[in-house]
Amino acid sequence: MIDAPSSTWFTAGPEWHWLIVAYFFFGGLAGGCYLLAALIDLLGRERDRPLARVGYLTVLPCAALGGLALIFDLARPDRFWHLMVEVHTWRPLLQWWTPMNMGAWMLLAFSFFAFLSALAAATEAGWLRWRGLLKLRPPGALGTVIVVIGALLGLYIASYEGMLLAFTSRPVWADTPLIGAVLALTALSMAAAYLVLFARWRGWDLPGLAALRRIDAQALMVALVALAALVVSLGGAAQALLSPLNLAMLAGVLAIGYAAPLALRFTDGWPRGRSVATAAVLALAGGFLVRMLIVFSPYGAHA
Amino acid sequence: MAEPMGFFTDTTVCIGCKACEVACKQWNQLPAAEGGQNTLSGDSYDNTRRLDGINWRHVRFVEQFDEARTEGRWLMMSDVCKHCVQAGCLEVCPTNAIIRTEFDTVVIQSDVCNGCKACIGACPFGVIEMNPVSKTAQKCTLCYDRLQAGLEPACSKACPTDSIHFGPIKELRQRAEQRVAQLHAGGEKRAFLYGADEKMLGGLNAFFLLVDRPEVYHLPPDPQLPSRNMPMAGLFSVLGALAAAVIALVNFRRRIE
Amino acid sequence: MADSDCVVIMGSNMAENHPVAFRWPMKAKVERGAKLIHVDPRFTRTSAMCDLYAPIRAGSDIAFLGGLVNYVLNSERWNSDPFFRTWVATYTNAATLISERFQDTEDLDGVFSGLMDYTGDVKEWPFNGFLGEYRNETWQYTGGGAEATGWTADTQRSGEQAVGTDRGEKKQPGKEALAKKAGAKGPPFDQLVRTLVPPPPERDDTLKDPRCVYQIVRRHFSRYTPEMVEQATGCPRETFLRIAETILENSGPERTTSFAYAVAWTQHTNGPQIIGCAALLQLLLGNFGRPGAGILALRGHASIQGSTDIPTLYHSIHGYMPHPSAMKDDDHESLAAWLAAETQATGFWSRTPAFMVSYLKSMYGGAATPENDFGYDWHPKIIGDHSHMAMFVAMNEGRVRGMFCIGQNPATSLNAKLERAAMRKLEWLVVKDNWIHETATFWKNAPEVKSGEVRPADIGTEVFFFPSSQVAEYDGSFTNTQRLLQWHFKAADPPGDCRTDPWFTWHLGLRLKKLYAGSKLARDQGFLNLVWNYASEDPADQRLGEPSMPKMLKEINGYYSADPARHIASANDLRDDGSTACASWIYCGVFPAPDDNRSAARQPDPPGVAGAQLGWGWAWPANRRIMYNRASADPQGRPWSERKQWVWWDEGKKRWVGLDTPDFPLDKPPTDKAKPGATGMDALPGTAAFIMKSDGVAWLYVPQGLVDGPLPVHYEPAESVVRNPLYRQQSSPVYKYWKVSGNPLASIGDPAFPYVITTYRLTEHYLAGAMSRWNPWLTALQPELFVELSPELAREKGIGNTDWVIVSSPRARVRAKALVTRRMRPLRINGQTVHQVGMPFHWGWEGLVTGDATNEMSALVGDPNVSIHEGKAFVCNVQKA
Repeated sequence: MIDAPSSTWFTAGPEWHWLIVAYFFFGGLAGGCYLLAALIDLLGRERDRPLARVGYLTVLPCAALGGLALIFDLARPDRFWHLMVEVHTWRPLLQWWTPMNMGAWMLLAFSFFAFLSALAAATEAGWLRWRGLLKLRPPGALGTVIVVIGALLGLYIASYEGMLLAFTSRPVWADTPLIGAVLALTALSMAAAYLVLFARWRGWDLPGLAALRRIDAQALMVALVALAALVVSLGGAAQALLSPLNLAMLAGVLAIGYAAPLALRFTDGWPRGRSVATAAVLALAGGFLVRMLIVFSPYGAHA
Repeated sequence: MAEPMGFFTDTTVCIGCKACEVACKQWNQLPAAEGGQNTLSGDSYDNTRRLDGINWRHVRFVEQFDEARTEGRWLMMSDVCKHCVQAGCLEVCPTNAIIRTEFDTVVIQSDVCNGCKACIGACPFGVIEMNPVSKTAQKCTLCYDRLQAGLEPACSKACPTDSIHFGPIKELRQRAEQRVAQLHAGGEKRAFLYGADEKMLGGLNAFFLLVDRPEVYHLPPDPQLPSRNMPMAGLFSVLGALAAAVIALVNFRRRIE
Repeated sequence: MADSDCVVIMGSNMAENHPVAFRWPMKAKVERGAKLIHVDPRFTRTSAMCDLYAPIRAGSDIAFLGGLVNYVLNSERWNSDPFFRTWVATYTNAATLISERFQDTEDLDGVFSGLMDYTGDVKEWPFNGFLGEYRNETWQYTGGGAEATGWTADTQRSGEQAVGTDRGEKKQPGKEALAKKAGAKGPPFDQLVRTLVPPPPERDDTLKDPRCVYQIVRRHFSRYTPEMVEQATGCPRETFLRIAETILENSGPERTTSFAYAVAWTQHTNGPQIIGCAALLQLLLGNFGRPGAGILALRGHASIQGSTDIPTLYHSIHGYMPHPSAMKDDDHESLAAWLAAETQATGFWSRTPAFMVSYLKSMYGGAATPENDFGYDWHPKIIGDHSHMAMFVAMNEGRVRGMFCIGQNPATSLNAKLERAAMRKLEWLVVKDNWIHETATFWKNAPEVKSGEVRPADIGTEVFFFPSSQVAEYDGSFTNTQRLLQWHFKAADPPGDCRTDPWFTWHLGLRLKKLYAGSKLARDQGFLNLVWNYASEDPADQRLGEPSMPKMLKEINGYYSADPARHIASANDLRDDGSTACASWIYCGVFPAPDDNRSAARQPDPPGVAGAQLGWGWAWPANRRIMYNRASADPQGRPWSERKQWVWWDEGKKRWVGLDTPDFPLDKPPTDKAKPGATGMDALPGTAAFIMKSDGVAWLYVPQGLVDGPLPVHYEPAESVVRNPLYRQQSSPVYKYWKVSGNPLASIGDPAFPYVITTYRLTEHYLAGAMSRWNPWLTALQPELFVELSPELAREKGIGNTDWVIVSSPRARVRAKALVTRRMRPLRINGQTVHQVGMPFHWGWEGLVTGDATNEMSALVGDPNVSIHEGKAFVCNVQKA
């Protein structure tokens, strides 16, 4: 006889696996990168512009990879466009209440803005000749409008997956409203870590890096609070996290995302030395792991 | 719109013959698990195991015997899509592949579905899964094609003991209430209807007469719509995004100063 | 059954194996609040539906039923409600006196008087398998009833023993002589029948005489106390008593109880006695011939009932007439002798001459004349037990050269390895089936071939396979368990070379007739004169070479010899002078006119109107839905109650009327007196509801017709883990056992085989699986062979759920997966714990899903009356693989 802690226990898994983890990872990274790049453009120093450029240039492939992951997670990838076009009438299909439909449109829009920003960044990098494309980036009015909208879309892409998962009846996903918050915050931390790591690799010493490292650390700390709140909000459904796989993933998140960076900070000094790169790698890995945990956690309910 | 139609499944007369499963497979031309070369589940006589994309009817077997065998029951229930009046699958479908028919039933249009699988996780009953042949999400259609031709669904037609009743919901509810009253009068006080009124997802158009807690039949005692989560999940997603934006802003603003 | 107030299902897993018929007890339960009772070794899907379930040890059915009989006879209700007394005294042989020389099992500790060694085998056919036999002259009615003849279920009388062998008894005068004395060379045979009328048996209507059936029955069952029931069956005393009370409460003028059984009652060394015991109980309770009453034999799917009506049985011809036998010496020497031997002069069977002559006319048509005994001599005659087991034993001895195997799969059947060894001795084997099953591939894929023990090169059997049409691919009729004929219509052409079984038989006959054409040999004349005119005028049939099914139905129904286009409307119109031809008198009336095939009728009664659905299909005999329904009225012809009215005497119309076709001469008043010396129904009074019996009453005590005793006795199965708790005699002294190599039996309580095993079917498969193991929709539902065992036994043997286990009997070992379930339970028998296991028998080596054949383990041992094997109770061991 089954004593289920939540009515979510009686559902079937949609078999969203690695491609969805990948989408959450690349989507989060893209969203976070765009936000940071836009802020650097709008509020940062002129010297930090290469960081923003790297950000924009990262966003486009990440968004594309994320989109591809989504398409290939469909059982019928040839029908991906059914998400946006009403098949029988050929009218555009807009369903404001379904995160997946909205997400598809938002991802399309985000990709469009990411494309514009990438054009500007590529021009600045000298890969494209037509200087007019630089107008697509601040400080001009057009550029400002573009990156503000792009940044907001980026925030949407980084956080709406919480709604996507909550809009089910699955254990964990439908048992907490906090997944979006965790995803948004870890997306920011991943993006910051990524930019730090990139700068580190290229040997750039830019003033914005310190801010990025702070952003990484602060986002991680708030995300930890959000994660703790998430576990608490699950109530009895937290039982799902007790499966061996879920416990391992949770331990991985805590060890790699939090304990290891903290340990680094106390042993190797902050913010100097190789630990900067290591911390960034750990933040990225932690972000990936937390997405794995979230995507796979419902299966623990039936163990 | 025609009158709302549905199933009333009286589990107390189900003999577990699985004729409904086979009739369903035959009419809907659904493949067999493992091409028929299935393995023994060891879970009573249930080798179908669950509802999914190729099993639109599933007879569940629950053995209840105490050690001394003084009390013993073998419960059987032919499970099926509930065709909820407020259907989780329908509200989450991002492609409009899932529709409500003129019979108030819920049908997945296989030519529209692109296999995003959102409905699978959305169904509070775990009814829907992918059909490996069509590569779309599938479930009971309440034999929409037969209904349109004025025929009753294959499963209820095949049911030898009338455990599966098909008909207008109004009539079915009356019949079901009479049956519960009859069982109560006969001493079976545990009998009750599951999903026969609006309280559960606006009413299940396939509802059940049970004689034990819903969980025993692997049914959620309190199924919910996915949309119930949306205000809070939306709020916290926005708050999370906001927090992220604030963290980023704050750090860059300091920089300006 | 829908009219029952209580349904006892025993010896059947009705919900699983007759799920469609099971809708009727469920209807009774849901709509009328009927009580359903299941008595079975396993808690099955049937038990799950029942109000009461009694676990019993496999093979202890008579102990349980005998307990019920004893309970009823000693109950206050039965002894105080006048209904029971009146019913039993009027409609049964309770008052009849039995020979003073009769000794019961009470007197002889488990055997009846007349037991002796069996010596009946002849050298032409030494395969009858009897362990012993009874001489039944001491079992007879006083007053000369011993001369009564024509008992259709009498294997003994149907020719398994040479009557002429003098074993010390007073030699009866031969029937040939008797017939000659009556001057009966040819028709009419009325005078012959008159000479056969027995003097009426003596009666004691007070039921007080110790020699009357009632008193014998009382004494016989006195030891079947509730305590003894518990000891012998393992069923808790309280459960037994609740069931007994429920049955008694639901019997009487206002209420009726029915029994349903299937092969779990028949497949024993005393199956007919189990059924007889239930019949005895139902007779005591007045539960016969009335709506919602009776004992319902749940026949197999499709047309198993039809295949005994138009028999594939070796010992009877159409309409339950005994098969002519070469072993009966002068008893069956001529038609007149056969009629003298097999006609029951009083009661409805007195018309046997008309039935038999009409049958011979249907066989040989114009060639059958009074001068040549209507071709009686051309008719094949049996020389012993030609049942499945005896035939395979004979085959194994090289005595059978060829076999047509149609709709059977012996390669996975009883003691399967032995049967396969027998088939290796055949010169040729024709398998005709829907799929290539194990019998078609025994020579290349059987376990002993795979293991190298037998090489295909060493097998001389030539095997032919003919693909069969499916039932939806041709017209024809089914006869279901209710004796209801329902025509089915062809829906589609069969694929490729698939043809019907009638096609095969018809063409085979045509070719053989051609082969024998012109032969002057006496033995070939029957074949040459056989009526074989089934050519169809329907182009759809002609295209496939199929014969005409309506023509066959017409021959079965009957027609006038002078005007073959005219069909016969009623069995009452059959004559013994050759003017009528009718293959099966019981089916007479199904096709009363060329354009009126009643089996195709589909007119249900209007909803809410009480009736017998007489417009839906056609039930033999005479579209009668309840047999012996005269008993639904009291001796004066009034319904016993309004609630249970069915057929009654209308004083105004001077006729029997009612909801059903009355099973009685329509104008014979209830007050009619028996006419001394008369034949047929005139010899019986207006209360003689059981018109097929010579004395017009149902038999509580059976003086003739059964070879293993006039009353049911609890005997242990041939293989048992315990001693018989009731008698010193362990098992039936006369059951059939073929003592051949490969067919050993375990001794009582053999420690090597400590568990009881019972075998059965599942809803999801069909018999040996030949028809279901090819269908992925079905195989997915039950993919693998399993053995059901209790957690207690599993723990004892260290077996986990779905573990592979080896189950072994003295004959074989099979591999199966364990299905550990509390639906199985250990029983306490005689103070000893007895574990039972159960195995379905649907698997073999062909098909989508394969597995060992459970029947490798069963034995060639069976019942002496009907030669059915004992597959429902034997012994085994279970070990983790």
